[in-house]
Amino acid sequence: MNYRESAFLIDCQGDELVAIVCEPLQTPATLGVLVVVGGPQYRVGSHRQFVRLARRLAAAGIACLRFDVRGMGDAGGAPRAFEAIDADIGAALDAFMVRVPTLSGVILWGLCDGASAACLYAPQDRRVSGLVLLNPWVRTAAGAARTYLKHYYLKRVFDSAFWTKLLRGGVSPGRALAGVLATLRAARGKPCAEASAPAAAQTLPQRMADALVRAGRPLLVVLSGRDYVAREFEQALSQDARWQHLLAHARLVHVDAADHTFSNLALCDDVSRLTAEWVSGLMPGRQGSHATGGSRQ
Amino acid sequence: MTVAREVLRLDTPAGGRFAVLTRRSGRACGALLYVAPFAEEMNKSRRMAALAARRFAAEGWVVLQVDHFGCGDSDGEFGDASWQHWLDDLSFAWHWLAERSGRPPCLWSLRAGALLAADWLIATGKHLPWLIWQPVVTGKQYLTQFLRLAAAGQMLDEQDARGVLTRLRAELAAGRAVEVAGYRLSPELCAGLEAASLRLAPGSSGPLAVLEVVAAAGAGLSPAIARLQQAWRNDRVAVDSAVVAGSPFWMTQEIETVPALIERSVRMLERFGA
Repeated sequence: MNYRESAFLIDCQGDELVAIVCEPLQTPATLGVLVVVGGPQYRVGSHRQFVRLARRLAAAGIACLRFDVRGMGDAGGAPRAFEAIDADIGAALDAFMVRVPTLSGVILWGLCDGASAACLYAPQDRRVSGLVLLNPWVRTAAGAARTYLKHYYLKRVFDSAFWTKLLRGGVSPGRALAGVLATLRAARGKPCAEASAPAAAQTLPQRMADALVRAGRPLLVVLSGRDYVAREFEQALSQDARWQHLLAHARLVHVDAADHTFSNLALCDDVSRLTAEWVSGLMPGRQGSHATGGSRQ
Repeated sequence: MTVAREVLRLDTPAGGRFAVLTRRSGRACGALLYVAPFAEEMNKSRRMAALAARRFAAEGWVVLQVDHFGCGDSDGEFGDASWQHWLDDLSFAWHWLAERSGRPPCLWSLRAGALLAADWLIATGKHLPWLIWQPVVTGKQYLTQFLRLAAAGQMLDEQDARGVLTRLRAELAAGRAVEVAGYRLSPELCAGLEAASLRLAPGSSGPLAVLEVVAAAGAGLSPAIARLQQAWRNDRVAVDSAVVAGSPFWMTQEIETVPALIERSVRMLERFGA
């Protein structure tokens, strides 16, 4: 083993977060990757994706910290939404810099709503040196309905197995039709809940784009081929000039065979390798092939 | 009284194991070793286990949770794990906790953790008080259900799914590892899991506390558990059981908790205390 792992507790506003840092043994790490866990996962990730990522990064000379936000995994405190974990990310970043004093900056790495949380956090912390976003969560009610229409229902219309099943009685035609109609109504773009709230004039994808533009950091975006969350993200960015601008300056990678959580070991390791290469390219003194992020304000 | 939590690395002869020790200050009433469920069920139930550990610790229990080889934050790849690795880890953790707490630890298992605990108790000849949450009864059936995830992942129909199962079984029989839902399963691990069942060594007297989570209030124990309970009672094993209404937190899409399961367990654990 060419890495060292240690577990410790982080205080976050009086609650304990459990964290694991994985760091290279040979050379001191100058850049670190902070895994921002989203959804129903804790710090190891589905099928230990984040454990494998951390160990591969450390083997490539990059330190990695994984942790449980409040209310998840082994952490204390009450669960909260991904839009309300800035304090958790900040506390983990503080602890990371203390544990690995050679770090000059930290890359936020997030999957699903962990990616969204990373975007929203990025502009407020100068220590954030870049972001890696996997299948970022940009769900709005209208966006979700459009994605389902495009990629699920319309595909099914041409799917012979669906019709066979329907005729054999495997699908309730009434229910199937009601579902399509409800989705059509939603997709027609009635303002969704978050857009109609007075305080939030912007939708989630708009707020994420705003944050990334303000942060102006290098960006790696990885999208799975077999994932509705990734399709929704594509849908959202196609309607937003700022996202298109951000993506034009980012490294964008499609992993066609992957599902939402990269539940295929080879593809999962491809993402780890890709992350290690991209982060290495950001290290001072090493020439990277990436562009330098979005525009600065 | 405050409950304190330590995160540890246990240095076993076969590498480091991540562990969480939860306890309160003052005198302990007993020690409890958690035997976690299999694969993604361990991830999904992590919060529930953490909440329960804290609650049990507040009642005076010293609670140890250990990630076995290739699981959670421990050393090793899941794909290299065998059933024997996990039995060895259970032995190491039990002796570590016994030494640390100064008393023989009771067991607390969830789902397929019961299969590992049952095999370990038989192998070591120990008779220990055992809190059993939502036990898996037969390893063979459980493995089949897990392998079916491979078919579900490819959204196949019933007939194709059977083909996938047959192919995976043939691979395992030929001594090759298979990959399902991001987990590589070694033939050794599958053989151990497949041979395991929820059984007790002859001469066991308990006490056992079996708890099941049901969707609707008023439902009884599942038929398999009810039959086992009757058989054990016929053999003069002290078995306490209960059902609580709640979500199957070890497999739900979002993280769920069942506080009633923890509270009911606290009352049942009172009979285990020294």
